[in-house]
Amino acid sequence: MVREVSESCVDSLLTEMVACYCNRFYANKPELAARRIEAIGYQVGHQLSERYTMERPRFTDHLEAIKFICKDFWSELFKKQIDNLKTNHRGTFVLQDNKFRWLARMSVDPSIDNASSVEDNSAPTPENKAAQAMSMHLYFPCGIIRGALSNLGIPCAVSADISNLPACSFVVRIKA
Amino acid sequence: MIVCVAVVGHQNNPLYIQSFTEADDALKLHHIVHCSLDVVDERVNNPKKSGPMLNETFLGLLYPIENYKVYGYLTNTKVKFILVTTDLDVKDADVRNFFRRFHAAYVDAVSNPFHVPGKKITSRTFAERVSTIVKSFGFSSAG
Amino acid sequence: MARVAPRTGDAIFANVERVNAELFTLTYGAVVRQLLTDLEEVEEVNKQLDQMGYNIGIRLIDEFLAKSNVSRCNDFRETTDVIAKVGFKMFLGVTASVTNWDADGTCCSIVLEDNPLVDFVELPDNCQGLYYCNILSGVIRGALDMVSMKTEVTWLRDVLRGDDVFELQVKLLKHVPEEYPYKDDE
Repeated sequence: MVREVSESCVDSLLTEMVACYCNRFYANKPELAARRIEAIGYQVGHQLSERYTMERPRFTDHLEAIKFICKDFWSELFKKQIDNLKTNHRGTFVLQDNKFRWLARMSVDPSIDNASSVEDNSAPTPENKAAQAMSMHLYFPCGIIRGALSNLGIPCAVSADISNLPACSFVVRIKA
Repeated sequence: MIVCVAVVGHQNNPLYIQSFTEADDALKLHHIVHCSLDVVDERVNNPKKSGPMLNETFLGLLYPIENYKVYGYLTNTKVKFILVTTDLDVKDADVRNFFRRFHAAYVDAVSNPFHVPGKKITSRTFAERVSTIVKSFGFSSAG
Repeated sequence: MARVAPRTGDAIFANVERVNAELFTLTYGAVVRQLLTDLEEVEEVNKQLDQMGYNIGIRLIDEFLAKSNVSRCNDFRETTDVIAKVGFKMFLGVTASVTNWDADGTCCSIVLEDNPLVDFVELPDNCQGLYYCNILSGVIRGALDMVSMKTEVTWLRDVLRGDDVFELQVKLLKHVPEEYPYKDDE
């Protein structure tokens, strides 16, 4: 039987991890905070790809590995697949999740909606703060994807695009 | 009887190698493992030879040498597992079963947050699990 | 009539949204590893994990009270019992037990035999001072703080250090019964 924990455990841990790096360690250096959060994701993705490819044949090309990320890998993490995969056939892939779970759950997080928790009144507008917190959160799944693909022998850069919320697109650029 | 097992990284860097013989033939076994890596590379890079099992992780018998048989396995993450045995009539299912359990042990070992990818596996838990799997080789069913 | 606290969290756990524990376990491991890299001192990492746990605990208590249907109880004994039997099950899917009560009922141990945080974990030799699961003690302290119980939570036993179980000692320092003072201010 697969071991499970409540989804709040993961949500709480991610929220706190991001807050820890963005607000306490590198409050004035978002690029450094981003790099650390991405590194944490990278390690997780690296380990998960090892686990989730255990009982399957080896991938023959990049597309097969990317498809694996879109289907089985994503399903293990989010109980759904990536909704749309596009490629320019020159090493760039766009993976779109129409309702990315970690963002959907985030919008109801009181620390971002600014309801009951301790708030710093001198902070910029809530919208600004929320947008920044959101992009910080996304370094984690970007790191997961990069870690997973690197371990499958595909070095790449991964970024996230949230111009179309609640959809989220992950852009994978394979390094030649 | 299994006399040696090894885990080798994607740059042919040894990550774990353990022999299980009383005799002082560790060097010889290491040499056999080393030579088998070329066979693995050749198999994987010349798909015609391997035919229908092109992408299967289990590579089967790599080569027989003197009194040994050498089997190989290649994960999706390009990590090689090598098994050296003195049994001459080995059941394919037993070897597959061995690699399946060995792979599970390996995956758990590299899931340790303190394990550094590409570095040697020093985990005691892994060593114990491997030893158990090695001891039960040939006794378990294919399931 | 006071609501009766559920005796176990099984039913609640069956009804909450759940995810593959591996993601949680590996993420926590990666966080600990990254903190060790960034903070260098094991002591600092212990402190930071406890702080993270505290921040999580003060938020998680609301979800806990809402989903468990537990009314805010003022009794320390009852509260720790509910945390162990319902709280751990509801969030981590494991059951903890409460033992070693002292005579005046202000100090006890929460014992955990199974702990998803440490699946796959082996402490390296240079991290022997690390309380790997220190986030848990922070969560308990934070949650209890929100129901007006100031506590001190310390590890007595740790499987990663060779013990057979995890044992957290919870000591009640100060209990401020809720009096709703703001009612009169308005």
